[in-house]
Amino acid sequence: MATINATINISSDITNYPIRINKTMTMKKAGSCHGLDETTGMRTKKFAAEASPTAAVIVEADEITADKATKVYIRNTSSSKEGYFYVAYHAGAAAATTDQTIGKLYGGDWMLMPYDGGTNITVASDGAAEQTLEYMVFADVIMAAKG
Amino acid sequence: MATTTASVSISSGDLIPGSNLSINASSTLMKAGLTTGLTQVESGVISLALDTDSKLGPLATEMSGDVHDIASWLYICNKATDDTHYMDFGIHNTNMGRLYAGDWMFIPWNASDDDAAIEVEAKIAAQTIEYAFFNSNFILTADAG
Repeated sequence: MATINATINISSDITNYPIRINKTMTMKKAGSCHGLDETTGMRTKKFAAEASPTAAVIVEADEITADKATKVYIRNTSSSKEGYFYVAYHAGAAAATTDQTIGKLYGGDWMLMPYDGGTNITVASDGAAEQTLEYMVFADVIMAAKG
Repeated sequence: MATTTASVSISSGDLIPGSNLSINASSTLMKAGLTTGLTQVESGVISLALDTDSKLGPLATEMSGDVHDIASWLYICNKATDDTHYMDFGIHNTNMGRLYAGDWMFIPWNASDDDAAIEVEAKIAAQTIEYAFFNSNFILTADAG
């Protein structure tokens, strides 16, 4: 059993009374007090600038046991707030109009979401400039890629 | 201009043998493609009834100009304390993950189409969540009388 702690801090002055959110979770297995202990490790992928970028699968559903307490961390490591990646819960597409598009990660943006392994996590660069994505999965069970 | 900053720290000393995991990231949340900050927030602590699908945050049609493809951000924390309790999270009638007791999540949301609602549903038992939705496009709905 491993211990993985994740802490979020959000601060904002949108309101006259500043917003301060600070929360720490210990990632546990589904329905259990024991910690998640499997991971893909940190992966990085560089996406070249291209006129018509194609979507890419970064998390394959068939490698994750479904309906557990899996978490996915993704970050756009670029510094530009103009360039972005679409992130979608979809077998093979990630675009603005895909029903299950989650959102856009601009330069420096990050996300941490629960994932049920029902279908792939897919990304698509906007293609305007080279960008790099880093991502990591924390899971109850990760199956070795099928040969 | 308002400034909203979100940072994360993920650490583990025993997940990967011989290697301490330490991830640190921080981002200032901006309007889509711009360097101006988000201007509106909706937040609260709410109850989720058992096995009842609930919508969180506005639909695209409930935002100024029926906007799509925006930059908005959603934070949710499941305040349950029983390890077996969880809530389903999904978009557009599709479950994407389970948020167990004490877990939090933070995601971008771009309102990809008119039906792209953010949906949550308590499982095993009714639960309480806290959430914050950062955006620039809320409008107040007219009173239908």
